[in-house]
Amino acid sequence: MSDPRGDGAPIFTVSPEGACDDAALLRRIGQGDEDAMASFYREHGRVVLAQILLVTGERVLAEEVVQDTMLAVWRGAGSFRGESSARSWVIAIARRQTRDRLRGRRLRVVNDAFLADQPSPGPGPEATALDRAELAEVKGAIRELALPHREVLGLAFGSGLSLPEVAGVLEIPVGTVKSRLAAARTALSRILDEKGQDR
Amino acid sequence: MNADIRSPHLDLGDLIAEAAGQPIGDRAQEHLAACEHCQLEANRWNLVADGVRGLAAAAPEAAAVPGVAAVPEVAAVPEAAAVPTRPRRIAQRVAKGPWRRAMLVAGSVAAALVLLVGIGAVTGYVHISRNSTEAALTAVTGCTQLEQADGTLAQVTGNSLVIKVASGQPVTVTTTATTFVTMSGPLLSDITDGASVDVRGSSSGGTIAAAIVTVGQPFGAVNPAGLVPIQGTVSDASTAGFTLVTPTGTRIPVTTSGDTLVVVPHASPGQLQAGTSIFVLGQAGPDGTLSARGVAAITQFQSGATLHVSTSVRDCSPASITEAIGAIGAATGSGG
Repeated sequence: MSDPRGDGAPIFTVSPEGACDDAALLRRIGQGDEDAMASFYREHGRVVLAQILLVTGERVLAEEVVQDTMLAVWRGAGSFRGESSARSWVIAIARRQTRDRLRGRRLRVVNDAFLADQPSPGPGPEATALDRAELAEVKGAIRELALPHREVLGLAFGSGLSLPEVAGVLEIPVGTVKSRLAAARTALSRILDEKGQDR
Repeated sequence: MNADIRSPHLDLGDLIAEAAGQPIGDRAQEHLAACEHCQLEANRWNLVADGVRGLAAAAPEAAAVPGVAAVPEVAAVPEAAAVPTRPRRIAQRVAKGPWRRAMLVAGSVAAALVLLVGIGAVTGYVHISRNSTEAALTAVTGCTQLEQADGTLAQVTGNSLVIKVASGQPVTVTTTATTFVTMSGPLLSDITDGASVDVRGSSSGGTIAAAIVTVGQPFGAVNPAGLVPIQGTVSDASTAGFTLVTPTGTRIPVTTSGDTLVVVPHASPGQLQAGTSIFVLGQAGPDGTLSARGVAAITQFQSGATLHVSTSVRDCSPASITEAIGAIGAATGSGG
């Protein structure tokens, strides 16, 4: 490959983690730096919005949660201790904001034991439904999943978090994250299968 | 890999990590490349991940959130990036089909990330890496017959190319009439009067600011979400733009810039320029030459960038190779 400097060193410096940048941003936000807040918002705003929208399915509510979340970041950036990534930190804030907003709605609580009881990582009968499915059908089926399933799928595949980070946000063990993801896929396959049979 | 010796296959964590664009170990990668069972499982997880990302991509712009600007402390927040960025890696898989199998690992500049992400949204994986030294030929996931060579084009002689790989070693590449050759980059000079083009960009006041122009035969691989395609013929081409004449005769002004990605999906070896980054998929001969089945030539937006692309294909079919080469061309040819 081209290496104009000829020293074999990386030609470009792309922060491998971005963590330092985010930590610095949050420090500046804690000091009242609006530009830093703008940068943080650019970096994470839409991911947070997408995640909350996936969980709630309500755009207005999701927008309000993002607004509240960013306000909480503005006010609480000084308390960020760097023990997690900024992305998982802000998503955890958004999750709490969402939970608070939805508290009065008596969300259907799905028992983790039930969720973990359906690991089905291997190809079962439902796998064929996924094999046949088109992307648009999958997106539609995801919307029909139970909230915990939508939430874990969004965190794992839409937010850029690692499995340990997802576990941190959800406050559950990594193993439970995996089983919940497997259960979500099984549920998704069943929805697709049912829709396929309806056609 | 699964520590459980009863199962030879990837464990759930690896499959999920792979679908999420997280790194998995070398052993897991090798197993995935060779195991049809795990490839099927990975495809299923990829489809689920694609669905989630598709929904995320359809989410409204964060900057458009009503009321955000009304919060005094956040009023200064400017418009958010069009696509969510991931500081550590970028793994957006939205479309099923051509892009699913292209796994790209590109080292590039931070400034190039925004458009790279935009293209990455439809390409499969676009990872940022600093890899700078690679073997002359590398395996291609999904087709054991294929090898890949990445390098800089040093010489073109008829149907034969010589590329220099990262180690400086020359690799001779032979092409045939059936070799799929694509070029991409800021190739504005390839937009000439009379050419059939597919323009994708944003429209304002009746003028299209072109983000991507595909010259020649339409190519399904260049199909990023959110950019509406308009096809027609080029007229009044200049360095600043051209007039797009649609099949119904409507004339639409199109502006181009140094950031416009031009893709020539069906090029010939003779059109390739020395110095461009080359990615070849082909079959290695006993003498070390590579019989190319697909070639992507990338003229980078910012010269000197070191690119490394790791490709996987659905199978060994020409269609799969075309898809992979097209994905490489569109994704790595983007810049900012």
